Amino acid sequence: MILNYSQPLELDGVSKALDTSLSALPDFWRILIECVLVGVVILTTYAVIALILIYAERKITAFFQARYGPNRVGKWGLLQSVADTIKILLKEIIRINNVDRFLFFAAPFFMVCASVMTFGAIAFGKGLLAVDFNIGVLYVTAVSSLGIIGVLLAGWSSNNKYSMIGAMRSGAQFVSYELSAGFALMTIVVLTGTMQFSEMIEKQQYCWNIFNGHISSMIAFVIYIISGHAETNRGPFDLPEAESELTAGYHTEYSGIQFGFYYLAEYLNMFIIAGIATTVFLGGYMPIQVHGWEGFNQVMNYIPSYVWFFSKTGVLIFLSLWVRWSFPRLRIDQLLALEWKYLLPINLVNIVVMVILVLTGLTLTDLFPSLF
Amino acid sequence: MDSVSKYFSGLFTGIGSLLKGMSVTWKELWTPKVTRQYPENRETLVVSDRFRAELVMPHDANNEHACTACGICQMNCPNGTIVVTSQIIETEDGKKKKILDTHQWDLGMCTFCNLCVITCPSDAIKFDNNFENAVFTRSKLIQKLNAEGSKLREKKKEEKPTAEAKPVIEVKAPVADAKPVVEKEVIAKVKPEEPKAEKE
Amino acid sequence: MEKIKKLILDTVKDAVIEEKQILTVTVSWDKLHLLAKTLKDNAELPFDFLVMLTGVDRGETLGVNYLISSSTDISVEVILKTDAADRENPLIYTVTDLYETAHLNEREAFALLGIRFINNPDMRRFFLNSDWTGFPLRKDYDPNPELNPVSIESKEIIDITPRIMEVDGKLVEDTANIFEADDYIINIGPQHPSTHGVMHFRTALDGEIIKKIDVHSGYIHRGIEKLSENLTYPQILHFTDRLDYLSANINRHGLCMCVEKAGEIEVPERAQYIRVIMDELQRISSHLLAWAAMTNDLGATTAFIYGMREREHILEIFDKTCGGRLIINQNVIGGVMFDIYNEFQQDVKAFIPYMREKLKEYDRFFSHNVIALGRMIGIGNMTKEETISYAVTGPAGRASGWSCDIRKHQPYSIYGQVDFKEVIRTEGDSYARYLNRLDEIEESLHIIEQLIDNIPAGEICAKTKAIIKLPVGEFYQRIETAKGEFGVFIESRGEKQPWRLKFRSPSMALVSIMPLICKDEKLSDFIGIGGSMDYVIPDIDR
Repeated sequence: MILNYSQPLELDGVSKALDTSLSALPDFWRILIECVLVGVVILTTYAVIALILIYAERKITAFFQARYGPNRVGKWGLLQSVADTIKILLKEIIRINNVDRFLFFAAPFFMVCASVMTFGAIAFGKGLLAVDFNIGVLYVTAVSSLGIIGVLLAGWSSNNKYSMIGAMRSGAQFVSYELSAGFALMTIVVLTGTMQFSEMIEKQQYCWNIFNGHISSMIAFVIYIISGHAETNRGPFDLPEAESELTAGYHTEYSGIQFGFYYLAEYLNMFIIAGIATTVFLGGYMPIQVHGWEGFNQVMNYIPSYVWFFSKTGVLIFLSLWVRWSFPRLRIDQLLALEWKYLLPINLVNIVVMVILVLTGLTLTDLFPSLF
Repeated sequence: MDSVSKYFSGLFTGIGSLLKGMSVTWKELWTPKVTRQYPENRETLVVSDRFRAELVMPHDANNEHACTACGICQMNCPNGTIVVTSQIIETEDGKKKKILDTHQWDLGMCTFCNLCVITCPSDAIKFDNNFENAVFTRSKLIQKLNAEGSKLREKKKEEKPTAEAKPVIEVKAPVADAKPVVEKEVIAKVKPEEPKAEKE
Repeated sequence: MEKIKKLILDTVKDAVIEEKQILTVTVSWDKLHLLAKTLKDNAELPFDFLVMLTGVDRGETLGVNYLISSSTDISVEVILKTDAADRENPLIYTVTDLYETAHLNEREAFALLGIRFINNPDMRRFFLNSDWTGFPLRKDYDPNPELNPVSIESKEIIDITPRIMEVDGKLVEDTANIFEADDYIINIGPQHPSTHGVMHFRTALDGEIIKKIDVHSGYIHRGIEKLSENLTYPQILHFTDRLDYLSANINRHGLCMCVEKAGEIEVPERAQYIRVIMDELQRISSHLLAWAAMTNDLGATTAFIYGMREREHILEIFDKTCGGRLIINQNVIGGVMFDIYNEFQQDVKAFIPYMREKLKEYDRFFSHNVIALGRMIGIGNMTKEETISYAVTGPAGRASGWSCDIRKHQPYSIYGQVDFKEVIRTEGDSYARYLNRLDEIEESLHIIEQLIDNIPAGEICAKTKAIIKLPVGEFYQRIETAKGEFGVFIESRGEKQPWRLKFRSPSMALVSIMPLICKDEKLSDFIGIGGSMDYVIPDIDR
């Protein structure tokens, strides 16, 4: 294999070194220490990525809108998110009368937990994968659906009519689009024959899935991006929040860090969707490799895998922002019509097409084995 | 068949229109930004000459203004923003004369309708474009426009040479020339009141 | 007109007809409804457009003036006047069954003057709380603040309306419920991002679908009409900028014209040109903001910023001309306050091609966007008949096929000399209203193009007396603002202050039709329709 030579910038050495140094300990302690370390690292990354994303979104949005965006706190406003975090931590959590107190406080945790659990399953780079399930795709689909419980609970327990409408919209939206997102991923599972993320990525070394299954993969990719957008409640599918209609939708009554949780989860969900799309369709942390171009491949390999992952994800996030800030919001019936009239039928046909492609050997890797 | 073609044409024209919209935002991503960076651009900021930001009473180099304390501005003000107080003094030649005591203007109540300026018979007041008027207490919004110790600019009356008449040089001094002096004096006038206001 | 006079006398024998500026007919309170109905049903020239309904305290009696016009030719005007028989318990028959727009106007007259309208199904006070003491526009009103103390407690909203109905020839006072007992009511407003001001819509929902809307207003009512009764005419001018602040200059133009017409003041031609150019710039800026706000209501925040960006160019021109951006104080009685600055023509001429290019961009960006189309086409339909009955004018009225541009039908100032199209669409949905505004921007640019190089030299303001007194009489002036028809009514008793001043606010008509066109639409569309109507609340809460 080409990847076998040393890559000084890769981080998988660290995890290996950690493994060997801990191997002397009994199993229980080794697993405990690793779990704690991984947990801490994931939570930190989670928060840091959220900060970066919030800053990036505000800045990019501003540029789309012929503005400068945050530019007062720190150079180019770089510390804006940090300042916002401090503000949000210091803010009072307002106790609201007549809410269902237990559910009201629990709701934000559901939201954050669901997104952290999904976040943990993403392969950030070579060896930077917390758990490598053999059913990774299934796990991600299942766990990311938990977030909706947070939204529904928030809407229900807030005792606010706006929140209620927002939550109900969100429920309808989520259930619908979960189908499409799931089917789009299934299409690729058919193509690669595995549900394990690491294996899926390794298989995409020379030919990304999006190209491998050509027509079918492309359609699946577009559908996944659209439904991913819808699942994360971001424009043009942000009708659970719909600030011009429902003021703030399901999180109207939340303040301080509770609101912060929703805010954080929203941004992270955007990242997660982009991250999964990268892993499944765009070769994950694999660098761009071309069969036979050894020199080129080597150069590409010097760029560490996590950089590849984050830049691919970044492109998708930019696309998401671009879409969000270009379009008006859909109405709930249009949103459901889009799913049930367009995305779902197309998806079902698409999965059949993919099966045919794979069985008849019409995927790119089958057609041009010498190239890929 | 017709409905099928409609389904697909609808889908593709829809996608086409969305891409068109995205092309517009893509273009705007690279256009120059229009936000003005205040206060960084304070030096280069151009505020229109006619911008009505605060009422001022131009004083000339001799600390003289043109206000005769007639009170027309006060009368014309729709919401009582201006209060002109005057006193009657006796001039050298024994005539009684009304002179300006204070010309008080309340920035907080002013609607900037410009009626006081256009109705003033002696062009004694005007609006200035110095817009940085933010203060921390309401009482500071009430400003005295005539400078301390200032007095009415006398009309040039050659047939009545009074003994003590100062050589009135700049009788018709252009209003603009007098402006900088005024500004400083008005500010200086207001400043001493600040501590008192804050205590309130 | 002779035919109309004959028709009036045939219907009500003892009607008093006066040939004034406008044909004025005085009838007794119980005959008014009959006369209005006859005039409305007149097949040849139906008087089906109630322009203004003005309650007046005439001193001895309380009365109402109705300025009615015909939808086929809105330059034809007739004034109907009537007085309530009893000052203590003033009663007049409603015309709500003939003109829907009368509904809110009658409620306003009740709140401010205490005139009750028989058969109006909803006689709650429009701007005021139900427990307000006294009727502010009456001349004997006691403004003592102790009578109506400011309350910081929130008050329960009572959804029960008193009314006075005629049943079998007898007057019966009863009450009615606005909503059903188990309605799911949400309050859209008074603080809500998409009500374009401090408006309050109590909305009964069935899931996402709107069952009924109840309009509450008056949260920022300033009593401008009452204040004006104690101010001189030049002083009143500054209020007009604060009605519909987006059409500030045009409103002010309307009041100036009314006073000039009454006082027979000739306005110099240069001033006319400047006024019209500024009016059209103002119209563009208002339409830009309407466009921007509507896109924002539909969720496209980016488009909002683009609209504001273009509007900024106009505000710059205003700033340089009059020293104001929003409240520009340009018109005064007899002309304009400020002459144009040296580079005015240059700036305006630079703006025209810029704006045209941006209009194309708007088109590409939003007008054909499939999501936007889905949110606008076929939403908030109003037929021409409804439009006329609710007196919805302006771009919204013209989107339903009603030719109602005052600039065309009753050309004022120099509008008779310029060439422009009246933009009319017949679909009557949100999209037609949306496109109408964009097209009107183009027409306004066209008007400005024709005038900008031809501004004649001369005075900018006619010489007026120091104290302007109007002759005794009633004066009306109608003018086309960006939102629709703005009207001024002045009743003068020969003093320097008006006896009664009333503004017809176009936004009130726009809001009054909202319950009708939003019924059975979805909640999201209610916001979108509101954006397409483009009402401004201070215009209603005068």
